[in-house]
Amino acid sequence: MSVETANVRTDRTLSEQSPLGAHAPRTQRTGESLAFNDELHLQAHRWLVDESYLLDAQDYEAWLSTLASDIHYLMPVRVTTALGAGYTTAPGMAHLDENMYSLSRRVARFATEHAWTEDPPSRLRHYITNVRTFRTKNPDEIVVDSAVLLFRSRGDINEAATISAGREDLLRRTATGWELARRTIMVDESVIRMQNLAIFL
Amino acid sequence: MTDQSGVLNDVRQGMIPAHIYNDKELFDLEKERLFSRSWLFVAHESEVPQAGDYVVRHVLEDSFIISRDEKGEVRALFNMCLHRGMQVCRAEMGNASHFRCPYHGWSYRNDGRLIGLPFHEEAFGGEEGFKKKGQTLLPAPSLGVYNGLIFISLDPNAEPLEDFLGDFKFYLDYYTKQSAGGIELRGPQRWRIKANWKIGAENFAGDMYHTPQTHASVVEIGLFREPKAEKRKDGTTYWAGNGGGTTYKLPEGSLEDRLRYVGYPDDMIERMKGQWSQAQLDVIGQDGFMISAASLFPNMSFVHNWPRVEEDSDDVHPFISIRQWQPISENETEVLSWFAVDKNATDEYKELSYKAYLMCFGSGGMFEQDDVENWVSLTNTAAGSMARRLLLNGRMGLLEDGGNVVEPLTNEQYSGPGSTRVGYSEYNQRELLTRWADHLERPIEAAAQLKVGMTAVRKTSKSGSASSCVAAEAPIDEAAETVLLGA
Ligand code: FES
Ligand SMILES: [Fe+2]
Repeated sequence: MSVETANVRTDRTLSEQSPLGAHAPRTQRTGESLAFNDELHLQAHRWLVDESYLLDAQDYEAWLSTLASDIHYLMPVRVTTALGAGYTTAPGMAHLDENMYSLSRRVARFATEHAWTEDPPSRLRHYITNVRTFRTKNPDEIVVDSAVLLFRSRGDINEAATISAGREDLLRRTATGWELARRTIMVDESVIRMQNLAIFL
Repeated sequence: MTDQSGVLNDVRQGMIPAHIYNDKELFDLEKERLFSRSWLFVAHESEVPQAGDYVVRHVLEDSFIISRDEKGEVRALFNMCLHRGMQVCRAEMGNASHFRCPYHGWSYRNDGRLIGLPFHEEAFGGEEGFKKKGQTLLPAPSLGVYNGLIFISLDPNAEPLEDFLGDFKFYLDYYTKQSAGGIELRGPQRWRIKANWKIGAENFAGDMYHTPQTHASVVEIGLFREPKAEKRKDGTTYWAGNGGGTTYKLPEGSLEDRLRYVGYPDDMIERMKGQWSQAQLDVIGQDGFMISAASLFPNMSFVHNWPRVEEDSDDVHPFISIRQWQPISENETEVLSWFAVDKNATDEYKELSYKAYLMCFGSGGMFEQDDVENWVSLTNTAAGSMARRLLLNGRMGLLEDGGNVVEPLTNEQYSGPGSTRVGYSEYNQRELLTRWADHLERPIEAAAQLKVGMTAVRKTSKSGSASSCVAAEAPIDEAAETVLLGA
């Protein structure tokens, strides 16, 4: 199929393009990925692995405390477009486009006794791999790429569901450790094969 | 094929054989007799605003390119190359002046017309061997547009869309015509759920009864400024034309007060007053009801709600969502969920409304999460042999002798069309299932066939027996043109 795209290519990040991203930090990566024995990379990797254990255990209160107050947590809708179209996400539409308040509402909901979708709870396993770390112009902020595969099993006999995604995170150093300040989740399917996103990636 | 008349009769009595929510034979019948002729929503004009814009949408297994051609006309083209059947367009959306088949390179304009045929002379003997002129990708047999909503039907003799919508148009305007600008649609989010498609359509059509239970958590976390779930019983269910829905009862006040109460800013209220009929305004301003969820038979639904979305603010922000329950099998549905917003609204309103949508509905919505859990579980349970012994009672609102628990509102009490009642009931679910039964009972007529490159249109019976040439119609170029223009 030959396509003359009318959509202008843009150099703006997806977080910048989001109608709900005005509050988000804008720090970008610089230079090459860090060596795997670089102290910053080791800290970033450890942070992601620790986070995956929190998410597997659905310890969402603890997870929330690892997020920066200006967090932008974005999972765009992916679309299949012709090669060269210049975009692979649905314009103006995401699966999740969250700030601290909306994330806190999601977490609060799970803490009620009436979040039926997670009662009984899913068995979750977040597999984190392909981690690489970049410096930014800010010495206290780093950008971390990772791949995540989420395995979710619900009920006794239901088939399990999986989601594969790439993530770009902005981590910020604080007095008490690293905080997640921005996450963009590029899910690898245009049709999600999971009954809902009552999970975090 | 199993005789389903017993099942259909039970459904008409409001008794629901539980297996209808997970039954392969019934699903085959739905494909053959319902989705082959009903009007089905595929896209909104705002998704293809410019010449050349297209989206690809499905009706069961059939893929259609919904495109806007160079003249600005919206087309629905069966996404299959006329040569050897390759899928012509494999992207979901984009902008193209023409589509070139990757297999042998036939190319089509974005209005469907075949314009490029490699080695036409050498391979086919030119126009004499194969008339390139007048060939076009197969258009959807019927196409209709209302408020920019594009519907197609696989039945060339489908009744006009507006007749099909009937009095439901009155309610459709609340969702899709809040100003002369109409809506713009964003999305869809798409995800697959292991649930039968009918369950969601029924739920959105009239299930106010599930709200206090299923959605208790959303109230508890302060998404609503009051315990709204409990208030559902004060609202109404209405059925009009081929669709129906639910409303909330609004507190006392003027039209403006009541629209402000659900979060509409004054500029939008002014445009609504200029756009809607007196009766449409009176349902809100006089009768005190605000539309909530709705379904249009068979598988399109709507949501309108007004949550709090900002910390430390009691303000609520309305959002509208449109969705389609696209059947995949008897136990799987692809949900397509769009965010809709008035085109003339301010950017600030659009952002907050979008935020409200994402928090409540769609793939990540907090309302939706608990709904789907129920529907998946219901579908699972409906698969077995015990479910065949169970006739579920879907008669809420009816007494055993057939009388009504609550009588419909009179013309003095209610300004809108259709049949409207206060309180919990399952009239609307029964309306949907009765239409479903009517379709499943009625055999389909043979569909016309197009012989590519030949001039006759032939009819075959559904069984596939090779029937004779019933109708030799106009040459394809004219026939195709007629369909396209008639669209
Ligand atoms: S199948 Fe499309 S050109 Fe041959
Ligand atoms: Fe619900």
